Amino acid sequence: MSQLNAAARAPLDSRAKMIEFHEVHKYYGDYHALRGISATIREGEFFSLLGPSGCGKTTLLRTIAGFEDISSGAVLIDGKDMSDVAPNKRPTNMVFQSYAIFPHLTVGENVGFGLRRDPRSKAEKAKAVEEALEMVGLKGYGARAAHALSGGQRQRVALARALILKPKVLLLDEPLSALDKKIREQMQVELIKLQREVGITFVLVTHDQEEALVMSDRIAVMFEGEIAQLADPETLYRRPNSRRVADFIGVMNFLPAQILGEAAGHVQLEVGGLGRFEVTEEQASARASGAEPVVGFRPETLTILYEGQQAHDREAPATIDEVVYYGDMTYYDVKLDGVDAPVRISMRNVFGRPVLDVGTRTRVAWSAGALVLFR
Amino acid sequence: MKFSSLKGYAFLYLVFLYAPIVLLPVFAFNSGTIIAFPLKGFTLDWFRDLFANQTLGLALKNSLIIAVSTSILSTTLGVFAARASTRFKFPGKTGVMGLIMLPLVLPEIIIASSLLVVLLAVGMPLSLFTVILGHTLMATPYAIAVLNAAFSSLDRSLEEAAYDLGETKWSTFRLIILPLVTPGIISSALMSFTISLDEFIVAFSLAGKETTLPIYIFSQLRFPKQIPMIMALGTCLVVASIVLLATAEYFRRRGLAKTGAKDTGGFL
Amino acid sequence: MAASPLKRWARSEAVNGYMMISPTLIYAILLLAAPLVTLVAYSFFTDGYLVVIPDLTTANYAEAWSDPIFRSILLRSVIVSGLVTLVTVVLAFPIAYFISFHVPAAKKSRWLFLITIPFWTSYLIRVFQWKVILNYNGVINSILTGLGLTDHPLQMLNSIGAISITLAHAYAPFAILPIFVSLEKIDRSLLEAGLDLGENRLLTFWRVTLPLAMPGVIGAVMIVFIPTIGDYVTPELIGGGKLPMVANVIYQQLLKIDNKPLGSAMAISAMLVVAAVALVFLFLNRRFLRGSK
Ligand SMILES: Nc1ncnc2c1ncn2[C@@H]1O[C@H](COP(=O)(O)OP(=O)(O)O)[C@@H](O)[C@H]1O
Ligand SMILES: [Mg+2]
Repeated sequence: MSQLNAAARAPLDSRAKMIEFHEVHKYYGDYHALRGISATIREGEFFSLLGPSGCGKTTLLRTIAGFEDISSGAVLIDGKDMSDVAPNKRPTNMVFQSYAIFPHLTVGENVGFGLRRDPRSKAEKAKAVEEALEMVGLKGYGARAAHALSGGQRQRVALARALILKPKVLLLDEPLSALDKKIREQMQVELIKLQREVGITFVLVTHDQEEALVMSDRIAVMFEGEIAQLADPETLYRRPNSRRVADFIGVMNFLPAQILGEAAGHVQLEVGGLGRFEVTEEQASARASGAEPVVGFRPETLTILYEGQQAHDREAPATIDEVVYYGDMTYYDVKLDGVDAPVRISMRNVFGRPVLDVGTRTRVAWSAGALVLFR
Repeated sequence: MKFSSLKGYAFLYLVFLYAPIVLLPVFAFNSGTIIAFPLKGFTLDWFRDLFANQTLGLALKNSLIIAVSTSILSTTLGVFAARASTRFKFPGKTGVMGLIMLPLVLPEIIIASSLLVVLLAVGMPLSLFTVILGHTLMATPYAIAVLNAAFSSLDRSLEEAAYDLGETKWSTFRLIILPLVTPGIISSALMSFTISLDEFIVAFSLAGKETTLPIYIFSQLRFPKQIPMIMALGTCLVVASIVLLATAEYFRRRGLAKTGAKDTGGFL
Repeated sequence: MAASPLKRWARSEAVNGYMMISPTLIYAILLLAAPLVTLVAYSFFTDGYLVVIPDLTTANYAEAWSDPIFRSILLRSVIVSGLVTLVTVVLAFPIAYFISFHVPAAKKSRWLFLITIPFWTSYLIRVFQWKVILNYNGVINSILTGLGLTDHPLQMLNSIGAISITLAHAYAPFAILPIFVSLEKIDRSLLEAGLDLGENRLLTFWRVTLPLAMPGVIGAVMIVFIPTIGDYVTPELIGGGKLPMVANVIYQQLLKIDNKPLGSAMAISAMLVVAAVALVFLFLNRRFLRGSK
């Protein structure tokens, strides 16, 4: 999954700060749209803003572009305070959700639009346009009417038009949400490659957690105008810092837990169906949404043991409650002995291994290291 | 209601709508001096009279001056208002727009008399200029109605994109917004032009000693001898308005083709 | 640091909006609001032969309203434009219905175009043509006598009926378009549902189509009523000056007789009557909109 975004590059912490938010607040009248955003985005980073619709992602992106004045706080780009810099003077360019292709211009005129004030010669500019089109896979499309393009092509034009100016930061507001699933997946890969190629900082807004996980170096998960968690995809997935983030990203099983005690960096627990065990402090730093502590684990961290198989770590007896077959995967809802609510387990289908029936008695292998304690 | 009887009614209604227009050329080419049936013979005399008539020529010239000025002024004022009302939120917008659109629902005689009273009170001499002032007031709401449609179909991110790509607010307006609302501007200009060219009562009240085409026509309608020439004039006006409408339709279609927008019907 | 307050103020939407609207607004204030206020002021001033004396008085209104001629003219204006409105809307409704329900979608705009063409030619000449048609020796009478249907040509001009027909013709598109728009908005499946439930076409029309079209009808009524009550040309040309309407007396007082306060009081009175009628219809429209929800 993270072949592309885990490429070996200079570690993030050692790179220069490209965008800094310092306690950014934004009010629309009485409505508090951004509630004290503080974060740093590094040079060359592929950064995503992820959250449900209406949480303020677009608003935050637009404060970078300069389309929204912030009510208090500061936005810095490349170390410079942007409060008195208009959008047309900022080293950022934007790919709009609607693509905002100028319908009365050709593809080439659209892409070359930002070069109007460029002192280079006409021929040089034409060459730059041609190169930009080639970069997004639209070589030779320059003379076409922009309004006749397909959704995917418009998106490429919008990209070329923004990238031709070699901005320090490229801002993308849900650039893929209007595309079909297939083209969307293809564009995800192309966007990552493109970002590697040009080395520009990308800030992407999306409500699609899978898209964010696939594409980003780091992700800021936002709820109601606040950043709930900012981390790389793997940490976000494996160690969500709150029940809410865990619910938003992927599927997670929850079981009520009883905390027996804490000692030497470990927390002792008793969980119905799993028994007594301990987890590290690092696993125990997430916030629960209610007063009761719960443990959470992803469906793929559990394994159904077949006859003769041994658990590497621990195992628990269970009964299969529901089976959903997906071709490459099978999802089992399994009732651990002594627990009423079923937990979900995802199993890769392997040749020669049968899909189990409902009601089958089985054993489930699990490991305390894969758990998160929400308390 | 059955389809066929409705269709028959529609046909009769069209006859009712077009009868006065169709009768114009009938009498314009009729050699009889009285406007009545049966027709006498064919003649071009009335058109000859028409083109030789210098008072009429002057009235036409005045009307064109007024209509062109009104068209430019009200479309310009309309662009400001339509842009403001479709793009910006500000307190009191409903009231402000209400005042500006008020002439739409004000009987013309009220506009004419209130303007007259004020112009006389401030001592401004009545002239073509005062007619332009009145006509602009009347035509601006129509211009705004047409332009609002054009401006509100603009995607706001288009102008943000241009601004983002380094243009200033003004050059964005010139390079992006203006070209995209041009069909609306042409429609608005044509509409204001037509309203002004045809307007009688405000012109009658505010023109002072000057004559416009409707004022001239009105003055001649009292003289039976002049009616055949008026019929010829009416014929010319019908032809001119059809040419104008066809031009407007042409520009509208071209505007649509250029931006690939969907055709949603006539420009009205 | 967020932007300085001054800069933020200058960039705010409200300020930009006011700047943008200001040319048009200033124009409307100078040439519409100020004149209307002046007209109101004049209506309370005293006429001093050629000059207007700013002594506040309600005498003008008293004079206008106690004058039986003015009262009958005002009444006639309301009756005539009420009649015109009725005739125009009743004639227009089937056409709007026809275009909306029986003309194929691709041809609708062509039909609307066809209906608006006559409206683009000179208003004066269009009005005058009705004199040609309705005259003693006009088109209709020559056809009637030509066919031997009558020996005595009909006297049709100089009547309220003639004025009504003329104005109904002049304002036809203004009535058709709003009705058409509201008919177009009707969800066709509602009508099919009505037919499905076994209602016949007439009943469906009565119970579904007509109520849903009512906002358009009321819009048409307003659009026709307001300008026709202030029409000057038709009473002059078709009424032969013998059936003056309110615009004709206002014009006479203001320009010919030059009694500005009295003329102003008449104009304001007429405006109040129009406003009162308009408010009644707006109220009806509200009721209808609420009723249909
Ligand atoms: N111009 C505006 N005026 C008032 N409220 C706004 C405006 N723009 C956005 N909002 C509100 O701010 C919140 C965040 O909006 P947005 O940033 O567009 O959300 P997202 O992109 O995460 O879906 C929403 O509740 C939205 O209604
Ligand atoms: Mg958004």
